[in-house]
Amino acid sequence: MRDTKYRLNNFCLYDYRGVEEHLSAMAARGWRLEKAGLTFWKYRRAEPAQVRYAVTYSDSASWFNPGPTEQQQSLEELCGAAGWTKVCDWLQMQIFCTADPAAVPLETDEALRLEGIHRSMKKNFIPTNLAALLLLLFVARDFFLALVTGDLYGMVRSNAVLFAAAISVPAVCLQIYLLSGYFLWRRRSRRSVEDGGPCLPAGKGYRRASLAQWGLITLFAAAYLLLELFGGGRGRALYFVLYMTLFYLLLFLVRRTTALLRRMKVSKAANMAWTLAVDVVLAFALVGGLTYTAIHFDWFSSGTGSGKTYEYRGETWDVSPRQDFLLTLAELTGEEYGHVSREVSSQGSLFVSERHYWESALLGDGPKSCFLSYTVYETKYPSLQESMLKDLLKDDPLKFRGMTMFTWRYLPDDPAPWGADAAYRRYIDEDPTDTWLLVWPGRAVGISFDSPTEAQMSTAAAHLKPEA
Amino acid sequence: MAREKFQTLTEPMFYILLSLQEERCGADVMAWVAERTRGRVSIGPGTLYNLLDSFQRSELIRETAVEGRKRSYLITAKGRELLEAEYRRLLVLTEDYQACVEERRLLP
Repeated sequence: MRDTKYRLNNFCLYDYRGVEEHLSAMAARGWRLEKAGLTFWKYRRAEPAQVRYAVTYSDSASWFNPGPTEQQQSLEELCGAAGWTKVCDWLQMQIFCTADPAAVPLETDEALRLEGIHRSMKKNFIPTNLAALLLLLFVARDFFLALVTGDLYGMVRSNAVLFAAAISVPAVCLQIYLLSGYFLWRRRSRRSVEDGGPCLPAGKGYRRASLAQWGLITLFAAAYLLLELFGGGRGRALYFVLYMTLFYLLLFLVRRTTALLRRMKVSKAANMAWTLAVDVVLAFALVGGLTYTAIHFDWFSSGTGSGKTYEYRGETWDVSPRQDFLLTLAELTGEEYGHVSREVSSQGSLFVSERHYWESALLGDGPKSCFLSYTVYETKYPSLQESMLKDLLKDDPLKFRGMTMFTWRYLPDDPAPWGADAAYRRYIDEDPTDTWLLVWPGRAVGISFDSPTEAQMSTAAAHLKPEA
Repeated sequence: MAREKFQTLTEPMFYILLSLQEERCGADVMAWVAERTRGRVSIGPGTLYNLLDSFQRSELIRETAVEGRKRSYLITAKGRELLEAEYRRLLVLTEDYQACVEERRLLP
């Protein structure tokens, strides 16, 4: 039979009543709180008993202190004299218990309790949550902007961006809910106290929101992994799993560092400085190392060639070029190519897909090299097509040291030779290039090839347009 | 809120200041108040801790001794003035009450 157990802490700092009731109920079931960590609380088995738990606050307490401050010791002394035994502390919350049903409550003045709670909240909850809110707003700013402007394509073009948005938007709402929830509780409690009543119960909404947040994160993470695994993005899925593992490892190591420094009786300021330094160094080392590995081993590429290759004239060619190309050089030109190399890469999300096709070939046995590349953008959702086109057609300036060197832009072209609903030709400033964007319902294709004839345009369109 | 700037004193505030006319530690203050008021006023240790802290920051009391975790305090001149002012305020209240009752008694 286990003697200890851990429970995820989802209390908020001002939910004193929730903590007291929870700990008393746990004691009645035979579990006494031993240690209150930031994420998990540790309980030890004991005889079931009616134990009163009560909490008070000391704003001098800190996670980084080498031990109890003088103020905390003074509080412990006072509580001891009144029959209360210190259990542990959680941030600024000081947790006591007593088996004496007649012991004077720790707090006998609700106005002072409210003041004490607010002092602690100002040291911990409010700045932490405000910082988290600002960070999340920064991360989610593009998505909020996209929601306002309706240009959602950029936000749904890859599962990674979609996942980030799906996580950060509810997280922003949660932070706003938590902060406003506290201030609302404080206002209502203040009114209650002014009318001679107690501080109001708090935290049930927080606990539910906290659980919902974990549920959402798990759900979205699982959805993202499945989408990447079944969408050909195994490298991205592996990166995500390792990234999350390293993130929690980093969190664990940083907390262990703080705990170790506390045991070494290092001052609060030095502990904070060392913890921050360890955090920054580890973050760079772990995330940087992972990202370097991912780039080095090409985890992010979803490009797939044709398998076996051979060398000819210093280049690599496919033994059996892949046959799933919508359009090949041979189909486009009617020529025979002796050596061919084909590659496809794709990205996308639940809502849109983007497939890049690339082919190089030697006419006969060479030496003339020919190239063909095109990208097929698809969406099943007509409402996204407009946003997709807007994104694809926007001007693309090339800047150097803040100066625009030139701008790539699409201008309308005659769609008739392509058999498309619309066609756009790409220009560098005023000079036309051999790149077009062809548009059909649900599909857009960007294609580049040298001076196509009308017959080639027609052939390309016949192969690239969506099937009826 | 908790009687900002101590313009008026709550009963616990009044008794804590009153008890500190003699040097006492926190535990002694709690015991003295309970005994003096025959249990009518009880001050929780968390509340006492906060009040002692804010009294000290407002220079109404001062720390006189530290023995281990035990700290002793004594009222300051400023604290005594405040206590005196509160006493006079309470006297005015009592006198007003008595005067009213007397007037009503004399009415035909």
